[in-house]
Amino acid sequence: MKGKRIENGDLIKTLDVYLKETRGILFAFDVENKNYKTKMFKELPKDIRFLNPIFYVNSSIYLRRVFSESIKIVAILRPCETRAYVELTKLSQIESRSVICGSFDCFGTVSSKKEDFSFPYDPRELKVFLESSGLVRYACQVCGHKEGIFGDFGLRYDKEWNLWFIPYTERGRVLFDLIPSEETEIPFELEVKEKKDETTFKTSLSEFRKDFERCIMCLNCKNMCPVCFCVDCLFNTLEYLPKGDELINTILRCGNTELPKNVEIYHFIRMYHVSQTCVGCGSCEEACPQSIPLTKYFKGISGRLQGIFDYLPGKNFDEKIPYTTFKEDELPYAED
Amino acid sequence: MESGINIVGFACSYCAYKASEMAGSLRLKYPEGVVIVQVPCSSRVDPALIIKTLFEGADAVFVAGCHPGDCHFIKGNYYTRRRIYALKEMLDAFSMKGRLKLFWISASEARRFVEKVQEMYSQIKKEKDEG
Repeated sequence: MKGKRIENGDLIKTLDVYLKETRGILFAFDVENKNYKTKMFKELPKDIRFLNPIFYVNSSIYLRRVFSESIKIVAILRPCETRAYVELTKLSQIESRSVICGSFDCFGTVSSKKEDFSFPYDPRELKVFLESSGLVRYACQVCGHKEGIFGDFGLRYDKEWNLWFIPYTERGRVLFDLIPSEETEIPFELEVKEKKDETTFKTSLSEFRKDFERCIMCLNCKNMCPVCFCVDCLFNTLEYLPKGDELINTILRCGNTELPKNVEIYHFIRMYHVSQTCVGCGSCEEACPQSIPLTKYFKGISGRLQGIFDYLPGKNFDEKIPYTTFKEDELPYAED
Repeated sequence: MESGINIVGFACSYCAYKASEMAGSLRLKYPEGVVIVQVPCSSRVDPALIIKTLFEGADAVFVAGCHPGDCHFIKGNYYTRRRIYALKEMLDAFSMKGRLKLFWISASEARRFVEKVQEMYSQIKKEKDEG
């Protein structure tokens, strides 16, 4: 695989040239009073950061709201955000022609619920700081895909902390060609390797009920999930949950019902619906006001279900989502 | 229901539902607690419906469709196979494995339909009696 080594300031210069030439828009992070903000820029800001150690929301949900024929949007995001972007282009939620989205190596993130910290700018120091702080979110601790190998291009650090620009698609090549340095073979450690999530998650209904008894059905996890995109979601109104006679019958049949009623129905359905596209970013947990360990369940279940079809969400643009395709000769044990 | 066991079945109207009708005309008996919902194709069954059914008091759910390759809509049951298999895997993670079953039953297999349903019923009954 070929790539270009980025010398000091080359990346910023390239982006500047690209934005000016094509009237493009940059989608990246900016620092304001120690807080990292996701912003869209017409021109390059003074204090631009590519590594964002604070996790608020999976930024790809904002990409759903922008599309244009003539203006290109360049986004440099975390691997999990880029994977969600790839999944959303498959689901026709993002117009991929108007977006060039690349992933930057990630060292883990801190929850935005924590107090303010000033993070070092240098990537080496940042990595050490995050590792020693013990504040890294659960989703990032268990994440096995922190390398920038997703999307249209990747920005990655090698062993000596040199930054490399590696294009993966034609759209990424447009930016790649603007970088002044020579095209060379990338170091061995940056080659893309096949990786699989562990697939042995096992729990029980009683454990699930114990963890989710605090749920207040605010639906924040649904609203903040990047891949939970349906406009006509079953749970936009609470019509899908039992009400009226149905509810009375449920109580008569089951003996009792807990309030808020049927959190299992909501979470199970959501868990199933996102099971193939879940990238394990943990923004559901981040959005939860009750601090329910959602990532544990969602990542565990989706890891298992993706394992059946050997599917990794966000790996490439052409692979179809398993539920939307099939093979004639497969799953011989499906029938009971 | 007398026995207190509720099983809801989603049956494809072109095969499994026909098989259940045929079982009726052959005077074959299957347990009272089994309620069949007729659906145009087994791929019409959104897993959301199954989850809703399970958590609103059904002891178990089965989905019955045509044998792979025999779908009236050419490829509907291939999608069913992927979806229901994945849902079973998910329920397995919550230790609820036996509560969802997938059957392939063609329109002429009335006996097979009754056998499968009977077997499922007795298994659920056994599990319920054991607590």
